[in-house]
Amino acid sequence: MTFFTVVIRGLWRRPLRTGLTLAGISIGIAAVVALVGMSRGFEKGWQVGLKARGTDIVVSNRGGSLTPKPFDASVRDRIAGLPHIAATCNLLVEVTSVEESDLMILSAREWGGFAWNNLELVSGRMPRDATEEAAVLGQTAAEVLKKKIGDPIQIETKKLTVVGIVKGGALVEDGSVILSLPLLQGIIGAPNQINAIDIGVTPSTTEQQIKELTRQIEQLVPEVRAVTVSEHLSHNEGFRLVKAMSWGTSLLAILVGVLGVMNTMLMTVFERTHEICVLLAVGWTRGRIMRMILYESALLGLFGGVIGVAIGAIGVQVLSATPAIKGLLQPDLSIALLGLSVVIAIAVGIISGLYPAWRSSRLNPSQALQAG
Amino acid sequence: MTPPSASALLEAKALTREFDEGHVKALRGVDFSIKEGDFVAIVGPSGCGKSTLLQLLGALDRPTSGTLFYRGISLPDHPNPAAYRAREVGFIFQAFHLLPTFTAAENVQIPMFETDRSASERRERAFELLKLVGLEHRLDHFPSKLSGGERQRVAIARSLANEPSLLLADEPTGNLDSENAHSVFDLIISLQQEQGRTMVLVTHDPTIAGRAGRTLRMMDGRIVSDDKR
Repeated sequence: MTFFTVVIRGLWRRPLRTGLTLAGISIGIAAVVALVGMSRGFEKGWQVGLKARGTDIVVSNRGGSLTPKPFDASVRDRIAGLPHIAATCNLLVEVTSVEESDLMILSAREWGGFAWNNLELVSGRMPRDATEEAAVLGQTAAEVLKKKIGDPIQIETKKLTVVGIVKGGALVEDGSVILSLPLLQGIIGAPNQINAIDIGVTPSTTEQQIKELTRQIEQLVPEVRAVTVSEHLSHNEGFRLVKAMSWGTSLLAILVGVLGVMNTMLMTVFERTHEICVLLAVGWTRGRIMRMILYESALLGLFGGVIGVAIGAIGVQVLSATPAIKGLLQPDLSIALLGLSVVIAIAVGIISGLYPAWRSSRLNPSQALQAG
Repeated sequence: MTPPSASALLEAKALTREFDEGHVKALRGVDFSIKEGDFVAIVGPSGCGKSTLLQLLGALDRPTSGTLFYRGISLPDHPNPAAYRAREVGFIFQAFHLLPTFTAAENVQIPMFETDRSASERRERAFELLKLVGLEHRLDHFPSKLSGGERQRVAIARSLANEPSLLLADEPTGNLDSENAHSVFDLIISLQQEQGRTMVLVTHDPTIAGRAGRTLRMMDGRIVSDDKR
């Protein structure tokens, strides 16, 4: 028998309670994995989407919402002449409800702009010109909206026709309804309004020069913000809110986990007062008693963490396949996130065990062992 | 502090123990000296302070005043009372105090965690000890599956785990029927005599006390007689 056997035996003493405590921790950890994994996936999805359409810099209005505020299309003419710019493309992007789907990305692109170039037709055709009342759907969007070529699609007050289904090389592109810019401007009654300019730089441009370019753009047009693709989301307040909320909720889940484990470990110390006193009487040091309790709670954390990561990973896959959010997020479950979650769980175990361990080491063996 | 005499294993002077802020005086000034290899029975009515005295000897509790030396070291000031309990003392309780979630062999191994023995050495020693108390066929039984007499034998094996010099027994046969009490007591006597350990045994059974070499009779927290044979 090793010390580890003693620790395991302690947990096995009350299988139901240990099981319920494990359930508590694992649900907390599953929440961490799911929420943080989804918010990271969301971030990554947009980044890949922007890169897939050849964008290096995004120019948008300084604003707090998930989609930026509109500004005048003439801004593009003021910055087009700056060095290293190879191409620009005006955009109007909305996240809105389309027919049955509550969250759909409407991506209106300047007719002939480079954002159209990376779209690969799966079936049908592209719109004939800027004014044809037609839209193409990303593969996932078509699936979610249950549309095929020739079907009508209601965008705000206008009925368009689905003429093509495309593959965009990224989740965000695949989940979008793509149409020409003048068409959407006409539908929402905002001619000349855009809310983003995608900029592609010349191939030899260095990271340093791109940074410099963003600075020049902001100098030239103070009302807009130019950020590189990788910075784009970290500067977006809406996204920062999503991130803060996912960590905030996770923290709450972790706190509940800590209280759960602490309660269990305190109960176990109270229940085992007599046994702990016997251990003290046969010569166990207070340090060894504390170690026993701490190992027990750390082990609860480890097991809870592993189970929680499994539940979280499976849950998030199931969730991302539901029609409501399909195509909007592909969770990013990196090994680092899963590892971090297990580490958090073990830390939860150790922190929750500290006070019960201290309590156990303060027990006085003489009273508990009085004859009888 | 009075210096201890050299030959004594245990020496107490003016030992008192009060509880409840002095309202309960369990020991009211106890003096005695116990030599290596002595077999001492402490007798007296319930509440006379004999169990309290035993707990002080085992460093499970600290006296309110007075001195208590073990081999010349003051027990209340012992730098490492856990090590004293683990290596020098073996406890045998009336209620056995076995751990319910561990088998007989595992219960015997519990005190050995405080020594350098490896896991296999611990297992071997537990087997030897259980053989010594006649339970080699009960190694993997949990306490709930053992009779009272068997439980006390496991507890006796556990008390010997780290080869202590001093055995402290608190009514070791008090929870047993007369037949079991008899055989368990014979076992205790043989362990004391064959291995020459010092034994301090609390009892109120006069026949058991009669087999000890020395009887300390207590009353109201004091030693009232000290009979040597």
